[in-house]
Amino acid sequence: MVLYDSAMSAGSSSGSSSSSSSKPPPSSLQQDIDGLLAGAGYKVRSSELRQVAQRLERLETAMGNSPADLSQLASDAVHYNPSDLASWVDSLLSEFTQPPCQSEFMMDPVTNQPVVNNGWTTNEPHAPQVHQNISYEQQNLNPQLTVVTAMEEDSGIRLVHMLMTCAECVQRGELSLATSLIDDMQGLLTRVNTGCGIGKVASHFIDALSRRIFQGIGGGGGSILGGSAYENEILYHHFYEACPYLKFAHFTANQAILEAFEGHDCVHVVDFNLMHGLQWPALIQALALRPGGPPLLRLTGIGPPSPDGRDSLREIGLRLAELARSVNVRFAFRGVAASRLEDVKPWMLQVNPKEAVAVNSIMQLHRLLGSDPTRTSPIETVLSWIRSLNPKIMTVVEQEANHNQPGFLDRFSEALYYYSTMFDSLEACTVQPEKALAEIYIQKEIANVVSCEGSARVERHEPLAKWRTRLNGAGFKPLPLGSNAFKQASMLLTLFSAEGYAVEENEGCLTLGWHSRPLIAASAWQAVTDPAAEFPTWDNRQPS
Amino acid sequence: MAGSNEVNLNESKKVVPLNTWVLISNFKLAYNLQRRPDGTFNRDLSEFLDRKVPANINPVDGVFSFDHVDGATGLLNRVYQPSSHNEAQWGIVDLEKPLSKTEIVPVIIFFHGGSFTHSSANSAIYDTFCRRLVNVCQAVVVSVNYRRSPEHRYPCAYDDGWAALKWVKSRTWLQSGKESKVYVYLAGDSSGGNIAHHVAARAAEADVEVLGNILLHPMFGGQIRTESEKRLDGKYFVTLQDRDWYWRAYLPEGEDRDHPACNPFGPRGKSLQGLRFPKSLVVVAGLDLIQDWQLAYVEGLKRSSQDVRLLFLEKATIGFYFLPNNDHFYILMDEIKNFVNPNC
Repeated sequence: MVLYDSAMSAGSSSGSSSSSSSKPPPSSLQQDIDGLLAGAGYKVRSSELRQVAQRLERLETAMGNSPADLSQLASDAVHYNPSDLASWVDSLLSEFTQPPCQSEFMMDPVTNQPVVNNGWTTNEPHAPQVHQNISYEQQNLNPQLTVVTAMEEDSGIRLVHMLMTCAECVQRGELSLATSLIDDMQGLLTRVNTGCGIGKVASHFIDALSRRIFQGIGGGGGSILGGSAYENEILYHHFYEACPYLKFAHFTANQAILEAFEGHDCVHVVDFNLMHGLQWPALIQALALRPGGPPLLRLTGIGPPSPDGRDSLREIGLRLAELARSVNVRFAFRGVAASRLEDVKPWMLQVNPKEAVAVNSIMQLHRLLGSDPTRTSPIETVLSWIRSLNPKIMTVVEQEANHNQPGFLDRFSEALYYYSTMFDSLEACTVQPEKALAEIYIQKEIANVVSCEGSARVERHEPLAKWRTRLNGAGFKPLPLGSNAFKQASMLLTLFSAEGYAVEENEGCLTLGWHSRPLIAASAWQAVTDPAAEFPTWDNRQPS
Repeated sequence: MAGSNEVNLNESKKVVPLNTWVLISNFKLAYNLQRRPDGTFNRDLSEFLDRKVPANINPVDGVFSFDHVDGATGLLNRVYQPSSHNEAQWGIVDLEKPLSKTEIVPVIIFFHGGSFTHSSANSAIYDTFCRRLVNVCQAVVVSVNYRRSPEHRYPCAYDDGWAALKWVKSRTWLQSGKESKVYVYLAGDSSGGNIAHHVAARAAEADVEVLGNILLHPMFGGQIRTESEKRLDGKYFVTLQDRDWYWRAYLPEGEDRDHPACNPFGPRGKSLQGLRFPKSLVVVAGLDLIQDWQLAYVEGLKRSSQDVRLLFLEKATIGFYFLPNNDHFYILMDEIKNFVNPNC
């Protein structure tokens, strides 16, 4: 598979600079980050270098004096966000300066500050550190990575070239040229193996382009874009089975939710897209096994309304209740039927001020990014009421891709990379019909990204760096996912999946990808407490 | 532990800039956590802590990169190229055309360091280094993600290096010059330097042309303890104990450090006399405890009548080339540039 032009459109938003002389000073300089260490993947303020060096020295001494097996301690310790070198060193320091009998890890997972050990004398006062999330703009905002597979057949390369040219024509409004290119590509497809590799992906993109040209961007009609909620659930379930992306999402989110719920007797999970409730049996079972016993668990599942008088939300709820009963977890379910997430009002969730709330969003937030300039953007509205619930944690999983750029050609080429990689990873799956249906699931995403616009285009994926900026700006702060979650995710992969999948740590978040290309990113967040404004939850019955 | 910790920490702090000291000390301590005394390795923790960066098809500071998975071996190679002067070409990689039909564009196959155990082609420090290499030499760099120990012992890394060499040689899009061939150099730091040697030796025996070897404080050793090992043990970030651990993790079980992989010109080594072995640039850091082995390697090449240039940087520590904040770095880059000059 070959790479091609992605920066041709006027006003291209590609993140990389063109020539070094015209670049603005990198954001790292502006925030006093040592630029050379940043190139090595570490964020350390120049003004803090000496302090960090001193702590490294102390850590070395502490490790040298450590009586127990060093690596055993290391295996037990949970590490967070290695890019933040200062806090990583600090967390290890507190690990190694504990008296040997204490196995509790003295880290406040919320603030990521070591809890001050009174027996330890320090030379300098322990200044609270502001953990800024500096986005490494140049590389992360537009990771135009591709993994080139060994399929360098001529026809494959030509197909990709033609796809790009066709997309460019579409962007320029040269529809007749685009149409003849579609014909040529259909012809070329007959000479290429469309059962796998570049042929398969290309055919989906050709379809999507055709749809855009011939049916317009309204998104109506055609089996690939429509489909009932029921059908979508089936496809989602098969996507879940065929590859590890959703399992990783659920697993990682559940781990974080479990930790956030520690010590709470009444907990409430709000799931932004219940589907078949695949995520929750594992959490219910984990809560059942919790030392000290399970809490009362309330689950509020949001999903589209079902036609024909069926209440699929309630059916799922009943099944989960059955499971909870069988493991002695007190459980209550509530379904909230809404066609769009932005139609949900916080009072519908009936959050009790005494319970610990977890908001769980698996690939839902991006759907709120379509903006109608006459209204407040839905994402701001929703993030604001999430904050008002004062959740203990908000777990967010999103596709790690830049599919919401304004320029069509940019979006198209990014999507071609992304979905080619995803299809490559799917090759390893051999189970049918899971694989075939998973492919249809992905096909629908492709069709939406490529052939829809405006409110019809809901697949508005944005990369982690953008979500960080957005969520930080909306009053959330990151809850780093640690090395324990990383390790368990890696184990999950070796158990369930083919070679080639890779979990990576990205400044407190975890990504799952195929080879070196991350495809899905999981992160956890907490609302920044705002003492100035109290948000009583019972009174959120605002007139709609 | 040789010497008191305090003395050692103070020594190393005097010879490197502060940010370099922080970087390498961080690696040292992180690596200490990952190695277990029983010879096993905490790979999960290692992968979690390693800072990685994606490839970038859009040029950054004149270089773009993309990853390629070799279908036959599953090996990942990251290819770095100088960006075209023509902006319209940016974002395009044409896997049909050669690099140039008129000029020679060298291709440097780079094997990252990490004592056979740590790091990857997409580790931030190595991604950054390869990009610098591209700019300095105006060459293409292919960074190889070879299999690591202790999960994969000798000869896996060498086999992967050989596979990468064959892969590079057979890419039409890496050809250049009027004769349309691939002009290959091998390069590597630490264990990568060791791999470069062994791949070059295999290439020489198979009559596959390699134009030059660049070995950056290559990882060699032997059973006896040399003077430099005794003198510098623990003084500048590295201890004999950790060197021993990595050899035990790489060499076949039960083997000692006179195994030819570790000690190519030692008692079990082989002369390269008469072989068309590439010219070598061997860079030795004067504060590296294994320098005696590296100097012995240089002597071994000379005894085999092979062309070798030694660059001895008296005050350099290991890893001096990660950050461009010292004289040694710039001296090194000049040397490499002259070495890879296509007119030589």
